[in-house]
Amino acid sequence: MSEASVLHTTLSISGATCQGCAKKIRNALEPLTGDTSLVEVNLEDQTVALPKGIDATEAARIVTETGYPAEPVTEPDTPANCCSSKSEKAVAGTDETSDKSDKETDKGTAAEAQSDDQVHLAITGATCASCVNTIEKALKSVSGVTHAHMNLADNTATATGAADLQALVRAVESAGYGASVIEDMDAADDQKQEEDKKRYKTLLVKMAISLGLGVGLMVWGIGFGSMTVSDANQGIWFGLGLLTLAVMAGTGGHFYVGAWKAFRHHNANMDTLIALGTGTAWLYSITVVSIPDALPEMARHVYFEASAMIIGLINLGQALELRAKGKTSEAVRRLLDLRAKTARVIRDGQEQDIPVEDVRKGDHIRVRPGEKLPVDGRIVEGSTRIDESMLTGEPMPVSKAVDDEVSAGTLNTHGGIIYEATRVGSETALAQIIRLVKKAQGSKPAIGRLADTISSVFVPSVMLIAVAAALVWYNVGPEPAIVHMMVAATTVLIIACPCALGLATPMSVMVGVGKAAEYGALIRQGDALQTAGKLDLVILDKTGTITEGHPAVTSVHSVNGDEQQLLALAAGLEQHSEHPLAEAVVNKAKEQNAQPLKVTDFEALNGKGVAGQFEGDTVRLGNRRWLEAKGLLLSGLADAEKAITEEAGTPLFLARGTQVLGVIGVADAIKTDSQAAIRRLHDAGIKVMMVTGDIDATAKAIAAKTGIDDYRAEVLPEDKADVVNEMRGKGYTVAMVGDGINDAPALAAADVGFAIGTGTDVAIESAAITLMRGSLHGVPDAIEISRATVKNIHQNLFGAFVYNSLGIPIAAGLLYPVWGILMSPILAGAAMSLSSVTVVTNANRLRLFKSSHKPVKAQSQRANGERN
Amino acid sequence: METILVNAGGLVLMAAIVWWFWLSSSDGDASAQNQSHH
Repeated sequence: MSEASVLHTTLSISGATCQGCAKKIRNALEPLTGDTSLVEVNLEDQTVALPKGIDATEAARIVTETGYPAEPVTEPDTPANCCSSKSEKAVAGTDETSDKSDKETDKGTAAEAQSDDQVHLAITGATCASCVNTIEKALKSVSGVTHAHMNLADNTATATGAADLQALVRAVESAGYGASVIEDMDAADDQKQEEDKKRYKTLLVKMAISLGLGVGLMVWGIGFGSMTVSDANQGIWFGLGLLTLAVMAGTGGHFYVGAWKAFRHHNANMDTLIALGTGTAWLYSITVVSIPDALPEMARHVYFEASAMIIGLINLGQALELRAKGKTSEAVRRLLDLRAKTARVIRDGQEQDIPVEDVRKGDHIRVRPGEKLPVDGRIVEGSTRIDESMLTGEPMPVSKAVDDEVSAGTLNTHGGIIYEATRVGSETALAQIIRLVKKAQGSKPAIGRLADTISSVFVPSVMLIAVAAALVWYNVGPEPAIVHMMVAATTVLIIACPCALGLATPMSVMVGVGKAAEYGALIRQGDALQTAGKLDLVILDKTGTITEGHPAVTSVHSVNGDEQQLLALAAGLEQHSEHPLAEAVVNKAKEQNAQPLKVTDFEALNGKGVAGQFEGDTVRLGNRRWLEAKGLLLSGLADAEKAITEEAGTPLFLARGTQVLGVIGVADAIKTDSQAAIRRLHDAGIKVMMVTGDIDATAKAIAAKTGIDDYRAEVLPEDKADVVNEMRGKGYTVAMVGDGINDAPALAAADVGFAIGTGTDVAIESAAITLMRGSLHGVPDAIEISRATVKNIHQNLFGAFVYNSLGIPIAAGLLYPVWGILMSPILAGAAMSLSSVTVVTNANRLRLFKSSHKPVKAQSQRANGERN
Repeated sequence: METILVNAGGLVLMAAIVWWFWLSSSDGDASAQNQSHH
């Protein structure tokens, strides 16, 4: 977890001028972070980035004491910020925080997060994990860059920080690769697709030429001539040697150029191995042809065909790899295809079809049945059913009427509507989802970073092994020793390909994240994908997560029998609040024609209830604990309360001054599929726990109805994070599932936070994983995909490691003493190409993933509602 | 003599690989390491 991708809290510092200062700061913060490498000091910006969960105020104090005045600055798009803004709201307001306004805030934050200081670069010439390391290093060396990462799967690099664009391009170019800034991601995608198609064709042509020459030479050598140089064929071989050189330069020139560029920068990569391997074979052969007499007769064998065939096979491997890579980004392409090209807007009473890019906020758009919605908006006329499955994974079309929100990319299945554009262009939920999926596809889980670290030392190590093998063959091998040493060294160089190692993780992540998006689970980073597979405890928030989040009043019990009066006073209080519970009370009053009474000095108290003034008396509506703390006796309502809680409802007690007036029962329907989703979690070996602000009896009833293993009742919203931390302390790998920003502190504290929401209202940026549909099934779906992806990564890495650890000794000649087998360099070339193709193909298997979930139709059960 | 030369050459080559890829570093790498603490 030492990567900047998990660095959240930032300190603003001053006075740090050199690496010595940076070191001092890192050392000073070590007691807090546990590891100096977890602290990133940016001297250019005078900032310090710290891992998630670190107390920024404490860190600022320590840094200030070290001699560098510091103060905490929280990033606008981090969960930490969500927490703080949430806490502020909770303090200023109450538990009755407006869901709506929170979600609006989320949308804004999400939009801001996407416009952060990230620069995307299209990279050319990167072929393996070593290239990834080199490019990341080069980008990080640019002043202002705080974090950089390269994705080999789609050949893009992302640099975070305030850096000069040209400096970034220059840094990559000086490291030996090509780079260009991606201005428009969508256009870049189309362009890349075109370029990939061209490159695929070119590689096939190159493959045909080099393989044709190699096979031709072999057939000619074996069938009609000889692969050994003699006076008779020396001239012919010399000509063929030059032809081979021309073919090598023409069809494999990029390997030699890449190897040279890397060498100049003290780096070695896959190109280095290919260039050295094929170069050694050609140089040896041309030496044999030029001065055959200088070598023993047995050693006058030429290997021109090996050089040509190796290049041919590797070109073939790269072509197949390119094709398979294209398939992995299918999920994003499918999302991109959802975008409508035109919109029918009504301007000045005239309807006109205009390109979707020209739609402005506030435009009225007409959508007919069967048409796609071009932008996000709110319906102003008509009603319909909208198929949102492409965004949420929810298979059934959703009914929409005036004032309901609709999203770009969804399909109008039923009636004609007119809606007002509220978010256009890159602000639409669809655009944000595409960005998020792409970002996550490019992120690297910890396991991938390990592979990269290994790869960076891998190639030079292989070169050492090749030289050592050659020396062993020379000293103890049979004659002709010089041939054996050349064959062994060439074969070792060719077979040891770090490309499979480099592709193993990004390929699987790309497919896994895309697959999760298909199931309506948006994964923000590779780490979450990896951790989700290890979860053994899922903590669920109740309202809006297990339940529908739309509570309704189920019973009204008045001490004096006047229920109308009780409702009128309760509605008078609750009409000031926007909490779902308040809405339920106000709606019930409306139903019963109870006119809300005028209550002044309204105050909402987090996790307790609401209070106000009515005709000089303080009126309170809230939970038992709070009212009893205020000295009120509720024993007379015990029976009514019991009846409510037994039905999994929440009792709200109403008191005026010191007089208890009655109790209102509010219940929230348990989502039809919550129980089935919880069962799936159990089947996956995961314990399920619920945290709720409700009283024990209600929580117990809900837990019993849904099959939850454990619950914590009467937990204040701000204490949910403590429960998460407590369970993590007990050794659990914890997921927190909440319905958005209200649960942000707990979501941020968990190993994996799942924000559950519906459609466009999701709190995209507040959790590691956002579930686009309201169903809890998204959690086991995401966990299943995560487990399948991690398994796939393990298979790939295992395959790549086994391939190399078996291939290199065999290539070096380990089997020779026992069975007399020395591998041919041509076979090594084929094996190397096969290893990359195998990894990519295995990653593509993930595309066939099917969730264990079968849609279940069940009846809603009434359950309670809580204030949180 | 030939044996000594080949073996010495191989060892020198190995030393050169170690030196070039591990012990010496380009300017770009040096500044990269200064900037990055990963």
